[in-house]
Amino acid sequence: MTEETIGRRGFLKAAAAGALAIAGLKVVRAARASEPEGSSPNSWGMVIDQRLCTGCGQCTLACRAHNDVNPDISWNRVIAAGEVDGKTVYLPRPCMHCEKPPCAEVCPVGATYHRPDGIIMMDYDKCIGCRYCEVACPYGARAFNWEAFTGPNPAVPEWGHPEVARRPRGVPEKCSFCYQRIDRGLGLGLRPGIDPEASPACVVACPVGARLFGNLNDPDSNVSLALAGSPHYRLREDLGTGPRVYYLPARKEA
Amino acid sequence: MASIRARFRGALGSFRITPFVGWVGVLGVILLVGVAAGLMVFVKGLSITNLNDLVPWGLWITLDLSSIALSAGAFLLCAAVYLLGLKQLQPVARTATFVGLIGYSMALLALIMDIGRPDRFWHSIVFWNTHSVMWEVTMCILLYFTVLILEAAPILGGAAWFRTRWPKLAGRLQTVHQLAPVLAIVGLCLSLLHQSSLGAAYGVLKARPIWYRPDMSVLFIASAIAAGPSLTVLVSMLAARLSRKVHVDDRLLEKVASFIGWVLVVYLYFRFWDAFAMTYTYAPGRTEGLQLLTRGPLAFNFWVLEIILGAVVPIFILLRPKLRARQVLRMVALALVVVGVVAYRWDTNMAGQLTVVTYLPSEIVTRYTTYVPSLVEILSSAGVIAYGALAITLGVRYLNVVDHRTREAESHVVAPALALPASE
Repeated sequence: MTEETIGRRGFLKAAAAGALAIAGLKVVRAARASEPEGSSPNSWGMVIDQRLCTGCGQCTLACRAHNDVNPDISWNRVIAAGEVDGKTVYLPRPCMHCEKPPCAEVCPVGATYHRPDGIIMMDYDKCIGCRYCEVACPYGARAFNWEAFTGPNPAVPEWGHPEVARRPRGVPEKCSFCYQRIDRGLGLGLRPGIDPEASPACVVACPVGARLFGNLNDPDSNVSLALAGSPHYRLREDLGTGPRVYYLPARKEA
Repeated sequence: MASIRARFRGALGSFRITPFVGWVGVLGVILLVGVAAGLMVFVKGLSITNLNDLVPWGLWITLDLSSIALSAGAFLLCAAVYLLGLKQLQPVARTATFVGLIGYSMALLALIMDIGRPDRFWHSIVFWNTHSVMWEVTMCILLYFTVLILEAAPILGGAAWFRTRWPKLAGRLQTVHQLAPVLAIVGLCLSLLHQSSLGAAYGVLKARPIWYRPDMSVLFIASAIAAGPSLTVLVSMLAARLSRKVHVDDRLLEKVASFIGWVLVVYLYFRFWDAFAMTYTYAPGRTEGLQLLTRGPLAFNFWVLEIILGAVVPIFILLRPKLRARQVLRMVALALVVVGVVAYRWDTNMAGQLTVVTYLPSEIVTRYTTYVPSLVEILSSAGVIAYGALAITLGVRYLNVVDHRTREAESHVVAPALALPASE
């Protein structure tokens, strides 16, 4: 056989066509991963009032019980973040459920995805455990199951009962805004953020009422009203991730 | 296989431990230890590694990235032969294709240990998130691995012992050679995309300031274009020195070596401006990441392994005809390029993870963490490397992957091979 090399022109044509196809595919799909499919009247969000939070950690324990989380893992860490007027200020950190979630953008198999109501979900049956999402998350919201969580959950039954299946070894897990409570509650005609049965476990457990949960789309919801009336901030807003968790900062007494 | 076994038995029968048998034996032992370590990972899970939630990517990812980078000779030399028409490089492309095939299989082995759910590896083929760079990387690995298998098929089909045993299959494998120009185009596109995407996989992460820059993909492809052919030429030269049966055309290898020298110049140029630009103004996370490289725990790797030994010294040797002509010096230079790219991949992966940028309000603070691979990670990685070395050794010995006399031979035997009698 005497084969000729493909002409430069032919090669360039083929390469250009290939590159265009790939670029086209990427542009078309670019909007997809970080944006939810379908639509919802709800846009769930959380407001955490740092003026009230005492750092007691009951939110973390309730979360562990209701979501059956390994004691080595916290979906909701409570971090000491400086002092105001000589008192420690605490910063509870659930998943931010970003509007532009870096984790969902990078997941190769689409195991982490954006629900129309704003919740960033994990499909633990789809995940291959590559941990790209964990590397991509600016908030450290994800924890990997380095080993299987076996045996009893020390937070159960004192802080609640598991409502979701335990995650297997080899996948990362994170806060889901207690989607199971929201979905079940809506099915029963309850109002998430108002009725405890339909609200995230951390919101219900907080003894000082430092957490509010509700629909950010509804201007009359408790979260919208709280944000309208007070100065607030979100974590690392400079990154453009658009967190759905808002903080009301502790301030010096005037 | 039977023939290989027969030859082994022959070697054992004579009760002489030749250097070849010794070398294969040593690699075999490391490979077995590596297999044991790998099985432990599958049984016990990633908790026996030193990976953690702050540093989820460690030694295996470095091994994966390095194997891919060192496989870059395949697409490059195939493109040179079949697209640019540099036919005299055909035997070097043959070696590069084989090295690339082994390199990609090493990467797959490293990845299967690294993912938390190896039983779900097929999910990456079935479930697509096309927006993810990692999806693109996965597709490129699988498709290009297929291309490499096809490109390497004539090598197996051309081996005398294989042709003798299965003449029909050998003939069929050799006909794949007709696809070489097409495969070279497909391979070029996939491989360029893949090598760059591996850099982009880091480059698109805003959460990691030291990674978040557009030139990551450029640097990854440039360093791979230098390192891939380096390993191919090094393997060829080593094989020719260690075996009397291997014949190489040193002028060809020297030509490729000088090309590598120029690629290193381009790479160093990009690298310089990339690093230099980062030294201006303080950027949280990025500045700390750069300091980790230039003055911190990665400084030796960065200055000595990556820049001085990995680029400057090889440029000096490979671009000066008098120095390049000295085979030992040239081999040292090529080995240094290989070391340099491995160090670059390790340092890149580490710099972004060892600097942890806080998300707390007030000012953005960067904290440092550490990572040292566990024994299991080290042994299993050594096993993967031993597998690669063993495969290349056997390829040189039984598949003539380094043989500059067989140039064009394959293309001529396509038809006769079908009718070849079962004797050599």
